Amino acid sequence: MKPLLLSLFCAGTLSAVAGSFDRHCVPCHRKEGVSLRQTFMNALLIYSGEHNMKAGLKYFLYHPSIETSVMGRTYFRNHRLKKPSSLPEKEMDAALDEYWERYKVIGHLK
Amino acid sequence: MLIAQKERMIDYAAEQVRRLKRLHEAFPRRNRYPRDPRFRSAIYDLEYVQIFSTLRDNRVDFLRDIYRTGGYIHFVKLLDSYYLGAKYLFIEVPENHEWWTRTLSRILIAGLVSGVFLTLLGIYLARLFVRPMRRSIELLDDFIQDTTHEINTPVHTILGNVEMIDPRNLSDRDRRRFERIAIAARSISTLYEDLKFLTLEQDRPLQEERIDLAQLLEERLEYFEILFRTKALRLHRDLVPTVLRADRRLIARLIDNLLSNAVKYNRRGGRIEVRLRPGVLEIVDTGVGMSPEEIEEIFERYHRFNDTEGGFGLGLDIVRRITEHYGMRIEVQSNKGEGTTMRVYFDAGETERREK
Repeated sequence: MKPLLLSLFCAGTLSAVAGSFDRHCVPCHRKEGVSLRQTFMNALLIYSGEHNMKAGLKYFLYHPSIETSVMGRTYFRNHRLKKPSSLPEKEMDAALDEYWERYKVIGHLK
Repeated sequence: MLIAQKERMIDYAAEQVRRLKRLHEAFPRRNRYPRDPRFRSAIYDLEYVQIFSTLRDNRVDFLRDIYRTGGYIHFVKLLDSYYLGAKYLFIEVPENHEWWTRTLSRILIAGLVSGVFLTLLGIYLARLFVRPMRRSIELLDDFIQDTTHEINTPVHTILGNVEMIDPRNLSDRDRRRFERIAIAARSISTLYEDLKFLTLEQDRPLQEERIDLAQLLEERLEYFEILFRTKALRLHRDLVPTVLRADRRLIARLIDNLLSNAVKYNRRGGRIEVRLRPGVLEIVDTGVGMSPEEIEEIFERYHRFNDTEGGFGLGLDIVRRITEHYGMRIEVQSNKGEGTTMRVYFDAGETERREK
């Protein structure tokens, strides 16, 4: 009984420690087989700056459309358009902040 | 200059954009920012945040497309696709002074060539226009020199014989004729002396001596006395004894020419005043006078005030030469129709006052 309780406790703790991005974005992207890096680079090509990109992605995630997607029309031949996110705005902002920090170009060029 | 650089920098920017595109596609597998030995560059995002820079001078201006900064030229390229998030690409090259040097040398060469051409053209034209004038002056000088040689003996013969004749032994009629001959002989003699001064005595060594100027003036006034009488001129003299160190013949020529003009251009029955003070000789006539424009020209050689009087127009040229030689200053004061005052100022160091 003790080992089972310990395992459940650890799983709950890890889930709480993992960031909003890892909890709400990564699983879905893995499931769909869509590279988060590739998505980021596509978004960078369109939005350029940090705040501009976050605002653009946020709008897309709440109001997804093929026209506002950074993936291009050809992508949707094999993939469906995601459903509008129901994530609270605070969590959405946190997820996008993490996304930017994880994949940003600034500071990673030599 | 920036325009000349701009074309080159546009090419650099196009190359750099292609490299950024390749890097964007390969990032993060490849993350070395593309560099080029010909230029430096930087990329900034839409929000003016620097993504990466190799610029020497990072004072960037997003509002201009090309500008100078700290010895460099920056060219700004706006990207259509934001590779690596870059909206602004800055290309930097050192400010090139080659253009200035080339332009400056071109201007200098063009100026030099034009200057040489214009100088040569000027010399050619000047010679072309001056040649006839110079030729006529040379002819006149030659003529005067030849004539001077020829009239020497006859002039002195006439003057010698005139002085030997005693007019008191002549009848009134003959005396008047004799006086006319004497006047003519003195006029020719004055002219001869002028010509001799200009042609034959230019190189004569000067004989500096102490001249009693008042005494010399008295002698010259006596010489001109017969001319004064002919024009019924009243002579007023006020001579303070003064000594001047100079060549006697030159000073005599100076006085003779001033007196000759005072007589020549005086009206009949007019007045001549001769004043001598230490440092200044003044000869005043009551003649036709001159305008300021005419005064400007009177010291030019061969200039004659009018054609009604004789002479070659040499007198005041000689006066000018003598005054210049001794560092004297000559002042002309004249009023049209009233007369002329000629003042010769002597150097104070050259004069001595002798109290009687």
